Amino acid sequence: MRVSEASMREAWLRTLGTTQSQLARTQNQISTGLRFSKPSEDPIGAVQSLDLSRALAENSQYSRNSDLAANRLGAEETTLASVGDVLQRLHELAVEANNATQTNETRSGIASEVREALGTLIQLANTRDGTGNYLFAGFSSLTQPFSLVGGTVAYSGDQGQRQIQIGSNRQLKDSDNGASIFQAILDGNGVFSAGANPANAGTGLVGQRTVVDPAQYDGGTYAINFTSPTAYEVRDAANVLVTSGTIQIGQAVVPAIAFRGIQFELTGQPAAGDSFQVAASRNQDMFTTVQNFISSLETPVNTAAGQAQLNNKVGNVLNDLDQAISHVLDVRAQVGSRLNAIDAQKDINSDIDLHTQALLSQVKDLDYADAISRLNIQLTGLTASEKAFAQTQNLSLFNYL
Amino acid sequence: MPDILRTGLSGLLAFQRALATTSHNVANVGTEGYSRQVTDLATKTPQGYGSGFVGNGVDVVSVRRIFDQFAVQNLRTATANAGQSDTVANFAGQIDDIIGDPTAGISSSLQAYFNAWQDVANNPSSAASRQVLISQAQTLASRFSDASTRLDAVAQNVNDKIRADVTQINSLASQLAKLNADIVAAQSSFTGQPPNDLLDKRDTILTQLAQYTNVTTTSDSDGALNVFIGNGQALVLRNVSQTLTATPSSLDSSKLDISYSGSGGTTITQLLSGGELGGLVQVRDEIIDPTRNQLGLVAVGLAVSVNAQQAAGLDLTGQLGSDIFSVAGPRTLPRSANTGSGSAAASISDISALTGDEYDLRYNGSAYSLVRVSDGSSVALTGAGTVANPFVAEGASIVVAGAPAAGDQFRIQPTRTGASSLASVLSDPRGIAAAGPIRTSAALANAGNASISQGDVLDASNVNLLATASIQFLSATTYSVNGGPAVAYTSGGNIDVNGWRVQISGTPVTGDSFTIQKNTGGAGDNRNALLAAGLQNANVLAGGTTSISGAFSVLVGAVGSEAQQANVSRDAQATLASQAKETVSSISGVNLDEEAADLVRWQHAYQAAAQTIAVAGTLFDTLIAAVRR
Repeated sequence: MRVSEASMREAWLRTLGTTQSQLARTQNQISTGLRFSKPSEDPIGAVQSLDLSRALAENSQYSRNSDLAANRLGAEETTLASVGDVLQRLHELAVEANNATQTNETRSGIASEVREALGTLIQLANTRDGTGNYLFAGFSSLTQPFSLVGGTVAYSGDQGQRQIQIGSNRQLKDSDNGASIFQAILDGNGVFSAGANPANAGTGLVGQRTVVDPAQYDGGTYAINFTSPTAYEVRDAANVLVTSGTIQIGQAVVPAIAFRGIQFELTGQPAAGDSFQVAASRNQDMFTTVQNFISSLETPVNTAAGQAQLNNKVGNVLNDLDQAISHVLDVRAQVGSRLNAIDAQKDINSDIDLHTQALLSQVKDLDYADAISRLNIQLTGLTASEKAFAQTQNLSLFNYL
Repeated sequence: MPDILRTGLSGLLAFQRALATTSHNVANVGTEGYSRQVTDLATKTPQGYGSGFVGNGVDVVSVRRIFDQFAVQNLRTATANAGQSDTVANFAGQIDDIIGDPTAGISSSLQAYFNAWQDVANNPSSAASRQVLISQAQTLASRFSDASTRLDAVAQNVNDKIRADVTQINSLASQLAKLNADIVAAQSSFTGQPPNDLLDKRDTILTQLAQYTNVTTTSDSDGALNVFIGNGQALVLRNVSQTLTATPSSLDSSKLDISYSGSGGTTITQLLSGGELGGLVQVRDEIIDPTRNQLGLVAVGLAVSVNAQQAAGLDLTGQLGSDIFSVAGPRTLPRSANTGSGSAAASISDISALTGDEYDLRYNGSAYSLVRVSDGSSVALTGAGTVANPFVAEGASIVVAGAPAAGDQFRIQPTRTGASSLASVLSDPRGIAAAGPIRTSAALANAGNASISQGDVLDASNVNLLATASIQFLSATTYSVNGGPAVAYTSGGNIDVNGWRVQISGTPVTGDSFTIQKNTGGAGDNRNALLAAGLQNANVLAGGTTSISGAFSVLVGAVGSEAQQANVSRDAQATLASQAKETVSSISGVNLDEEAADLVRWQHAYQAAAQTIAVAGTLFDTLIAAVRR
């Protein structure tokens, strides 16, 4: 092929341009440490790196959310532990108050301690988190949930329960509302409650309450009326006779009154005309339980029947406190399992983080060894091409004319 | 007897010409578009004698350029293609920079915005986290409008370049017309001898013209050349050139159309191909506009879905949330040549059906039809075009009014202004609707163990959404809402009333009751914030297959591939053009060694011819001396 001055220059410029742009690309890669700096250099890699970066940012947000949820649940756990302690102390006081050696004076001493405990309980139920939000107010986190108004403790929060996003597909409750912790506690033994008529003249004392066959109990209200000190009849809410029987007090085996799948033991000596009531368990907040305790302590006892009344009332309080303690333990167990779930999720999140980082690095980070060897080859090529051009340019016949 | 003197003289003159041509070649070794010239020599007609023919010397037949029409034609095509792909690659690279900028880009702002929602969900009553969300919304909106402003600037740049190119083409065309006249005149006055340097000049200008657009030529026998652009539109006919103008398109005045000047000049925008002009039209129609529409689609999707979620929650003041973003609706442009008084107005009806395409609404005298601009396919219209029953197509609803004339058209761009108009309109941190609008509660006195869900919003626009409602169990298996008729109870079944949905599950007993009421004072509620944060990955676009962030990634990928393809094609076309140029140069270019050899050759020949004259002189002297005796 014929070569002219212009065609030689054109051919050299073309290869020079290509080599120089490749060199510039390699240089840019090495100085940024990235395989590409524009999507056009690797469109698929660019989209992948966008998606992976987004996944990373999302994931670190989930970790942040998890920490926050763990903080809140930790605060709830601590508060509930204190609530449990107070309830435990109240339980001890109730056992103590039930003791026959107590007098009206010692009981009023106990009553004042119980009053203090009630104050502590209300205070705990109004605990705020670090940002000033009430822990147990449901959604109404800026409203004080519990307040003592006219002798009763009222709840001003709601039954909302907030969730926090701790993983891309995982939401977790970061709190419990006051209604579910302090109010939704079934009284009695959780199925039914049994109590004595305040007008009873005998000393009949309700003891152990047992559910024999849950299927048979219909949730109804029943009255147990003693027609004589040993004979009783059980009537339902419509005053229809359900069953009747006799009991022998003072036997080795504590006698029990049983019907409709439930039974309760009876000690002491009922009098004719005494009556006892059985009703399905209802929610009773723990503040009411404590207030019942106080009022029974503050009622003076002067007779054997009065003592039995007191023992019956305090016995109910003990039952209710047992319910409250186990309810608070239940909630604490749930809180604990949520904390465990957060730990597990944090592990998962950090695994995802590591994995995503590795992928992202694969997609966008430069292989330096490869790039530098490429740079060397390109530099050598460029230098050689420049030398060759300069030397051929020196050739001319005119030099010899 | 032949005249030796005359024969020698013919050699001297011929070699002078040849030396002149060679030095002309040497002088033009660096001239762009110069074709080397050679002097064609031929013997003069010999003189016949009885003893045979005796030569009469040499004649210069012609000075011609070494030129290959095919190679030059090839160069022109390659130049046009390289011009086009270079332009496309340049502009695609700019778009790539705007959309793909990873640090200051839209993608990271989207992420920061949705993370801010998560932080509000973590602490809904915190004014600080709400303020952060407000700021992130503002940042995000300005990222979209910044990108849109930069895209508009690129589009403006394209328009400016189209104008400049048209001016350049006009100037080259008039130069060609003038050169045609010169060449015809020169050729006719010198009996068909080629005016080489004028021809070179014309070819150079043609190659320059090919830089701007594809050209084809036909030549007349007298040396004149006719130049055509597009698919046969005349630009230069002999010594007359046409003038092109760039005027705003009748369908979209923000775009330029190229047409012949003069009133009623034919529009040839879509017929042009190749060259810078072809590249500009391509980059505008295939990259810039789709990018603006697609970016607008992401912006509209964001604004509409966030605002809808916001409207389904309660803010800190207890009101249903107001809009966080404002975004302009579809742009409807009546064609400037419309003769009727009809008008059309479009709005977004369904973001999941939106496409980011543009449409032409056409009226044929009796009915409307809709055509997708990008591929000319027809799109089905439902509805009647009235306010009560608008036309609906691909996520947009269109209301027409007035009396259009047959042939009237409207260009509809549903998402064109989406990104540029996106603005954050909520400035009060309390206005963020983090809470669900309703809350539910079970009466504490309930004897059954049934529980009620927290409630979801089905229809935030229901006027009774916030009204207090109660669900009373009439028996263990039936309930009534607000004292209404008995409804059979299914544990976990949906109860849909007043625009909300709740589920009651478990075993209720007669008399149990549940209340659904406005979430007054629900400062700690984050249900709506969680839903808003979840919008990031909710597939709300493209028929429920793509999320907002996903749609943006798709755009980045699409623009990146376009730019990559444009770069590849630029490199390939540049190589082809360079090779074509090399071929032309290797045929027509000057080689100095060659010329040096020619110089020596012609110099020697000239010296020899001079010597024959000297011999003729000597012969004459000999003859005179002989006669003198």
